[in-house]
Amino acid sequence: MTPRLKDLPTLRINPATKLSLTYRGRRYGGMAGDTIATALHANGIRIFSRSLKYHRPRGLYSLDGESSNCLMEVDGVPNVRSAVTQLQDGMIVKPQNVVGTPEHDFMSFVDKLDRFLPAGFYYHYFHRPYKLWPFFQNRLRNAAGLGRLNPSFRMKGHFDEIYPSTDVCVIGAGPAGMHAALAAGDQGLRVILLEARPWPGGFFDYRSAEYSHDIPLHKRARQLADKIGERENIRFFPNTNMIGFYAKNLITAFQVGKESDPFDERYIEIRAESVVVATGCIERPMIFDHNERPGVMQVNCAHRLARTYGLLPGKRAVFSVGDDLGVEAAIDLSDLGLNVLCVADARFDGQASSLLEGLEKRNILFLRGWAVSKSHGNKTLKKATLCNIDGMMSRDFTCDVLVTSAGLTPAAGPLFLAKAKMSYDYFTNFFLPEALPPKVHVAGRLLGLMDSLSIEVSGRLAGLSAAADCGAPVQNHLRDAREEMEQLPGPARGSKLVQAPGSGRKRFICFDEDVTIKNIYQACDMGFDNVELVKRFSTAGLGPGQGNIPGHNLPMILAQYLQKYGDSSTTILPTTIRPPLVPTSLATYAGKCPDPVKRTPLHETMEKTPGAVFRRVGPLKRVRYFSNDFTCRKEIENVRNNVGIIDVSTLGKFRIFGPEALKALQRVYVGDMSNISEGKVKYSAMCNEDGCLIDDGVVIKRGDNDYYFTSSTNRADSTVEWIRYHSRHEPWNFCMVNLTDAFGAVNLAGPRSRDVLGMIADKDLSNESFPYAGYREFKIKGGVPIRAMRLGFVGELSYELHVPASYMRTVWDLLLEAGKPFDIMPFGLEAQNVLRLEKGHVIIGQETEIRTTLHDLGLEFLWHREKSLYKTVGAPALSFTEHQEGRMKLVGFKMEDPSRPPKDGSVIVDTRIRGHVCTARYSFTLGESIGLALVHSDLADIGTCLEIFEDNMDEKRLYATVVPTPFYDPEGKRLRM
Amino acid sequence: MSLTITCPICGQRNGYEFRFGGEERGPRPDEEDLTHEQWCDYVHMRTNIGGIQREWWYHRDGCGSWFTIRRDTLTNLEVEGPEET
Ligand SMILES: [Zn+2]
Repeated sequence: MTPRLKDLPTLRINPATKLSLTYRGRRYGGMAGDTIATALHANGIRIFSRSLKYHRPRGLYSLDGESSNCLMEVDGVPNVRSAVTQLQDGMIVKPQNVVGTPEHDFMSFVDKLDRFLPAGFYYHYFHRPYKLWPFFQNRLRNAAGLGRLNPSFRMKGHFDEIYPSTDVCVIGAGPAGMHAALAAGDQGLRVILLEARPWPGGFFDYRSAEYSHDIPLHKRARQLADKIGERENIRFFPNTNMIGFYAKNLITAFQVGKESDPFDERYIEIRAESVVVATGCIERPMIFDHNERPGVMQVNCAHRLARTYGLLPGKRAVFSVGDDLGVEAAIDLSDLGLNVLCVADARFDGQASSLLEGLEKRNILFLRGWAVSKSHGNKTLKKATLCNIDGMMSRDFTCDVLVTSAGLTPAAGPLFLAKAKMSYDYFTNFFLPEALPPKVHVAGRLLGLMDSLSIEVSGRLAGLSAAADCGAPVQNHLRDAREEMEQLPGPARGSKLVQAPGSGRKRFICFDEDVTIKNIYQACDMGFDNVELVKRFSTAGLGPGQGNIPGHNLPMILAQYLQKYGDSSTTILPTTIRPPLVPTSLATYAGKCPDPVKRTPLHETMEKTPGAVFRRVGPLKRVRYFSNDFTCRKEIENVRNNVGIIDVSTLGKFRIFGPEALKALQRVYVGDMSNISEGKVKYSAMCNEDGCLIDDGVVIKRGDNDYYFTSSTNRADSTVEWIRYHSRHEPWNFCMVNLTDAFGAVNLAGPRSRDVLGMIADKDLSNESFPYAGYREFKIKGGVPIRAMRLGFVGELSYELHVPASYMRTVWDLLLEAGKPFDIMPFGLEAQNVLRLEKGHVIIGQETEIRTTLHDLGLEFLWHREKSLYKTVGAPALSFTEHQEGRMKLVGFKMEDPSRPPKDGSVIVDTRIRGHVCTARYSFTLGESIGLALVHSDLADIGTCLEIFEDNMDEKRLYATVVPTPFYDPEGKRLRM
Repeated sequence: MSLTITCPICGQRNGYEFRFGGEERGPRPDEEDLTHEQWCDYVHMRTNIGGIQREWWYHRDGCGSWFTIRRDTLTNLEVEGPEET
């Protein structure tokens, strides 16, 4: 392992904490603070992957993860950006897109075939004869794509999501962003500061150049970071990539967790009153022959390798740069021990004099107006050819690292996404914002500013402007900052060089997709002379780097080519930038996927009850069975013969009151709600505007203008909304309270239920004083208040008892205790399902579908026609569809073979599908198999034979006969006992 | 969700908190002399304009009121100020 540089104040590694990783079966060492890529580099690994099309070796090029070079498979996850992923102990890392080994790839011969793979080759070849296309399609698909996902792979980790809102959101925690955050924070505003790297500081963080007297830039960065840390109203998110920018300043981002964080990644959606974009610059690649050979890297990559990670990028280095940052890096790296053979600068003038002196002092060869034109080497770099800009002179240097970039490009993605008007500026050679959306501000290098103080003051100015958006009184500060800004250097001249002289075939504009300059020219010559068309046809910028490598060079190259060979008035236009700005895993978008479970007040009691088998019903957990006998014979027979008890707390329960409560009830219920007598329950139903049944329940009048009513379980959350929606145009005065969670409920059912309740209720429960369909309020043992109603869902004498939720366990225990002499037993949903089926009662959603009207179910008696005044929801549709032909009707049926009920959902057929089975069960009570089905009206007559087709039945059929319902106790004597 | 909605009771809130209730079509027509066509038109047909429309929203994760706002369907932004006539 290469020894690390020691005692640099800029280091972000901790040699004391040793980590390890496995790469191609071998263990390698790293240390805390390393990324996967820096750890591999420290171990001498230079080839990280093979390229998509030509299988060319690729290595470390940038430390910000803009290209696919550093995509690797880590712990089974493909396409991990190793250059920006922190090393964790024990990671298993594999190279991608490699056939053989990264050093010896069997597909690398394709590199020689590039003449036969021009831009858009897959559109040209393989289609003639067309019959062969499917064959080639298959081949191409196998070759295309990066990374392989094991189909049985399951993503591990904890994915979180947060939705903060803030006054000011600052994107980028470099010097400008930190100043913006501090300026807004000083006004007492809430600030969110996002930074993609693990620490704030931006391009100050790793530089030793002077900020002001005796203070190097890295020290300045730490001073600002300390201030940020002190401010409680500034919330700093490190390791956070901004990915989207939407209307009304909605910013999306994701954060990668540190080991101390309770998440691996989290999705962040920020709503900000005002936004400051201070994302700075990335480097614009220099394009020359073999410009992506391992050993070629960007300036800040080489600089940060040494300064942040303590790793010299190589032994003998050549620099080919286009701005002062490149020259500065060469001098600094030379001081750190790198043998710098030569610095070529594409500019003829404009270098800071201090830098020129620095080069001279160190005897570093400086070539003005020169650039690299070719890199040599078998796999990794061995030699570089430099030449002057007009291509007349050239010199070769033997080297193992070539540090190069053509210039800078603003990381303006957030501004494009924010729909700022961007135009090309021929002085800075940047796309600069011409007009910004309201409450969006820009600071720092995005504006072309390169001077440290200018950057800082522009940050303060943007922060104050954002504070003004939030109503802070900052007019004087703003004026001062503007005046200060005017005294400082403005935007710096930028390089417009893209490619060095020469015209080799292997000049890559897009690494991800292996697109060369030649491919761009080919596309132009074929008529794709617009940047969006070229991008699509050549695929430049369509790879996982989200166009960051070619994003700026492509429009420049294209404009240069078109000005020369086509329309001389061609201007430089950007390609469209879309979210996400940074590759984001689907697991991050999926976030927590919370799956909350709602429990009834009896949940713990149920869990302790022997044999209870739970099942999810929407958000609820309910008991389906109380034994392993899923026919529930004992539970059913005990209700029919003795007494059973079931938790029905999930029923929707509501209070509606106020002078116009009745009008609201009349609006939504199909029945007449004006004649509910005291002490009675009124059973009714709700339809939608199409007359289709959506809910049924009971209404009780508890006092003047005061009603208590129930809904089915799955309407518990939507009933208040429904009633308010359908009265939204009315000025009615009424209030509603959803009491679903405030009250629990049990149904005590069976011929002995009166005896059981009588044991604990000090109340005359005789049929005369509390008859069927009656409603009573009384107290039971211990003073627990009970709302009791005599209903008959399961077809026996029964009492539905509504109890304040906190008393539910007590009441359950009291009833079980009191019921012991009568053989009481709890029963679950399945038993209830069979019991009500025998009684022919429908469950909405089971016996109904979206088109099923009240008439289709035979429930027309619930509809009260004479209340058109109230505009009852669904009433017009009910009258329109009342006699409509060809509707599906609900019928009861008995199976020909009494021992064989069909599965729920089986279809009714003759020569085609004519309906389906809603519910069918074997009835122990009747000794027959019975069911309810929705069938075409011509099959609905009593006595009709139904042919039933079950899954995988082939030619076989089951047969049933339509019979009247209820199947059990048709006179309804038992529930009136 | 970039959409924000201004609830008359709770103020401007994130669009996630609300449920859409369709465009404002006025109160339901009277039942007397109502034809199938008029009925179908009221219940099922929508104007679906590209531009500013008045529409209903329900503050589901909030105060539970139904109210109308005006929204530009082309920009998906709530439009402030009084209705132009
Ligand atoms: Zn509200």
